[in-house]
Amino acid sequence: MKPPFKLDAHPRRPHPLLSEPPADYFDQLPMRVMARLPRPDAAPGGRWLAWLSPALRTGLASVAVLGGFAASFYLSGPQAAGPAVAANASLDAVPRTELVGYLLTSGARVENTDLAVLAAAHPGLAKGFLQATEAELTDALDAQPSEELLYL
Amino acid sequence: MEDHEILLKFQDPASRNLAFNQLVRKYQSKVYWHVRKMVVDHDDADDLTQDVFIKVWKHLSTFRQDAQLFTWIYRIATNECLNFLSSKRRKFLLPLTDVSAELMAKMEADPALGGDAIELKLQQAILRLPDKQRLVFNLRYYDEMPYEQMAEVTGTSVGALKASYHHAVKKVEEYVTRHAAD
Repeated sequence: MKPPFKLDAHPRRPHPLLSEPPADYFDQLPMRVMARLPRPDAAPGGRWLAWLSPALRTGLASVAVLGGFAASFYLSGPQAAGPAVAANASLDAVPRTELVGYLLTSGARVENTDLAVLAAAHPGLAKGFLQATEAELTDALDAQPSEELLYL
Repeated sequence: MEDHEILLKFQDPASRNLAFNQLVRKYQSKVYWHVRKMVVDHDDADDLTQDVFIKVWKHLSTFRQDAQLFTWIYRIATNECLNFLSSKRRKFLLPLTDVSAELMAKMEADPALGGDAIELKLQQAILRLPDKQRLVFNLRYYDEMPYEQMAEVTGTSVGALKASYHHAVKKVEEYVTRHAAD
C-alpha cells in the first residue's frame, strides 16, 4: 500500500518549480513599465478635466456637442442668404430685355407657364418685359391646356 | 524606501516618476511570481505584471491607505489573473479542465521541473483546483500569507478562506497519493 502523501512533509518552496525569468528581467521591468505609463496631458487646461467625475465629464461633453450644433445652425442661416442676395443684386444690373432675350434663345426652356406663374406670384413683375395687360395674361392662362394649369 | 515615503513622493508631480520607479523595483518580484503561479507561462506573467503596475499608477492617487500598500497591489494582481483566466475561457469557449490542461502542458514543458515526479504530481494537483481555490492555496502555501491579509486581498472572510484552503490541501494530497505511482 502506498503511503499517503502529506503536504506538510513535502519540502516547501517559495514558488513552484518553474524556470526563472531571464537574468536581466527584473532590471529591465521598471523601465518597461515606466515606458508604458500614460503621458500627462500636453495642454495644461486639460488637467482640470481629470478631477471631474466621469458622469460630469460625459455631461460636459454632451453640452459641448449640442452647443456646437446650435452654433453652427445659428451661424449657417444668415450666411446661406448672402450669396443669393448678391446674385440678385448682380442680376438687377442686367437690362431686362437682355435677360428675356437670353432666356428665350439659350435653350433655358422657359415656357409661357413659367412666365404666367411668375406673373401670378408677383403681379407687377412681368410688366417690364411682357407688355401685356392683366386681362391678356388671364386670357393666356385660360387658353393653356389643363395639365399645364396644374402648376397654378 | 518605505511605503509611506513612496506615497508621499508620489503626491508631488516633481518626484512622482522616481517614487513609482521605486515602487515597481520594490514589489516587482512578488507581483511577478504571484501572477506566474497563476498563469504558469512567463510571457503571460510578464504582460500581466506590467498591466498590474499600470493600474497601480492610474489608481495610486486614490489609494486610501486603510490597507497596506502591498495588500492593495496584491489585490489588483489577483483580479488581473482571475480576469485573464476567465477571459481565456470565454474567448475560446473552454471549460475549466481545458485551461487546466493547457497550464499543465506548459508546466510539464518547463525544464526546471526536471524529473521530480512527486513535484510534477503536486503541480498537476494544484493546477486542477478551481482558479479561486488555487489562488487561496498559493497565497497560503507558497506565500505563507496570514489569513487576515488574504481576506483583504481576496475580499473573502477568514472562515471561508480557512475552509477553502483545507479542502484544497485535501484534494491535492488525495490526487498525489492516487497518482504517485503512475
